[in-house]
Amino acid sequence: MSLIIDKIFAHSTKLVAISVLFLVAWIFTVLFQHSMESMQALGFDFVTETKWAPNLEKFGALPAIYGSIVSTFLAMILAVPLAIGVAIFLSELAPAKLKSPVGVSIELLAAIPSVIYGMWGLFYFVPIIRDTFGGIGISMLTAGIVLSIMILPFMAAVTRDAMNTTPDILKESAYALGGTKWDVIKDIVIPYAKAGIIGSFILALGRAIGETMAVTFVMGNVHKISLDLTAPATSIPVTLANEFTEADTDLYYSSLFELSLLLLVISFTIISIAKFYFLRRTRVA
Amino acid sequence: MATIVDITEEKALEVKNFEFTYASADEPSIKKLNMPIAKNSITALIGPSGCGKTTLLRAFNRMHDLYPGNEYAGEILFKNRNILTSKEDLINLRIQIGMIFQKPTAFPMSIFDNVAYGMKLQGIKNKTELNDRVEKALCDAAIWKEVKDRLKHDANGLSGGQQQRLCIARAIAVEPEVLLFDEPTSALDPISTSGIEELVIELKKKVSIIIVTHNMQQAARVSDYTGFMYLGELIELGYTEEMFVTPKEKLTEEYITGKFG
Ligand SMILES: Nc1ncnc2c1ncn2[C@@H]1O[C@H](COP(=O)(O)OP(=O)(O)OP(=O)(O)O)[C@@H](O)[C@H]1O
Ligand SMILES: [Mg+2]
Repeated sequence: MSLIIDKIFAHSTKLVAISVLFLVAWIFTVLFQHSMESMQALGFDFVTETKWAPNLEKFGALPAIYGSIVSTFLAMILAVPLAIGVAIFLSELAPAKLKSPVGVSIELLAAIPSVIYGMWGLFYFVPIIRDTFGGIGISMLTAGIVLSIMILPFMAAVTRDAMNTTPDILKESAYALGGTKWDVIKDIVIPYAKAGIIGSFILALGRAIGETMAVTFVMGNVHKISLDLTAPATSIPVTLANEFTEADTDLYYSSLFELSLLLLVISFTIISIAKFYFLRRTRVA
Repeated sequence: MATIVDITEEKALEVKNFEFTYASADEPSIKKLNMPIAKNSITALIGPSGCGKTTLLRAFNRMHDLYPGNEYAGEILFKNRNILTSKEDLINLRIQIGMIFQKPTAFPMSIFDNVAYGMKLQGIKNKTELNDRVEKALCDAAIWKEVKDRLKHDANGLSGGQQQRLCIARAIAVEPEVLLFDEPTSALDPISTSGIEELVIELKKKVSIIIVTHNMQQAARVSDYTGFMYLGELIELGYTEEMFVTPKEKLTEEYITGKFG
């Protein structure tokens, strides 16, 4: 009897697992099908062309790709050192009394829906950026900062967890050789937790590059490549969020699908790299 | 009162009226303990689980200071000074009094860098000096032959016994005067264990050694002096040869004959 139950259980879980795979394939297929028209009409120009003018039937994705990459890059530059700092503080330096309240608030921050970061960014960061750096405040820089604030708690929490896995006995061994707290953090804790830390960065990167709601309000949806960070810009998800309802021609519609396909491929690549790191970590441990 | 043999040779360490209380404990884990440690010899610490061997050992290099709230009382004399004062330079103390742990603790770096680590902490950068001292330490730890062709490899690729000898090499590379071993072979197979035992005996020419062990045969094989601890007190300290044959205290006798523990 129990054998039969086992079998049913095994088969039904297998079914669920397969349907997940099927879902992924399905999404890919749908995006691909809808992108066909734009792919055939525009070819490779789609990703190299800088002009996006739907009324002229010009669809160049480069500004959106550029905006996605630059805003994510800015976010990472700002968030990585802070996340490492917070994680070091929480796992190695903070007195026991501070560890859990600060740790819990970081986890709470990580749970805030991104649209709230977006609204907060619009009402508080846009004026600050405008007053400090000039411009209209709606800009690449603002998007980078809001994104960095959004991914910081997640990165800090996961980095802290990775650091906490360093065995005490390993740290004690370094102290026993005359190491200072800083020596132990730099030579033992960080190298030991390296794979986990890098994994968390890559996951955060994946989240930042696909993030929509946090940046839609503050980026501007302007399809222009500008080296001036205080100028408004756009990213792939921002374009999608702003323009799907406006797509009035088939080619316009299809090129938006091609943009989303592009985003999906980028995100998948990033997650695969992250997985590779996490896998390596579990093998070492 | 404890029975403590008269140590005629020079002393490496001297514990006087030592008490230790963990931050989370109401009572001291070690009570009014007096114990001399002879220089260039091996002192084994034995006793039932929880009697305070590790606690005493970790006081010699002030390891307890890594965790807040632990309290010391009394004195531990090392080179004519009490190392339990707040003035004590812990970095310097730990360079002079090294420690080997219950499990091998290879750092996440290469074999070479593991052994060079303590020297690098001291700011030694000279390549030839580092190379020479790493080689010497690995030779002294009887592992040079096995690792000389893969010094750049990750230390975690070594076997448990090799890693433990690597940890010993790492500890002696900074030329300490005292080495503390806390059950260094409890995670090793018999062959690795006897390798470590031979090594410990060889090392006493240069350093004074305190070794905690659960294995009474091991204490008998390697040590010159044996201290028997019970419930946070030192019951008896004697010459190893005499103590295992004619213990002076009843408790010691009961323990070594396996009546409890
Ligand atoms: N971190 C700690 N906080 C509070 N009490 C502790 C702590 N570590 C050890 N103790 C207590 O101190 C006493 C001595 O422990 P210790 O670890 O020194 O024993 P041991 O002789 O090394 O035992 P074992 O042979 O099992 O290693 C025990 O009663 C133990 O419960
Ligand atoms: Mg112990």
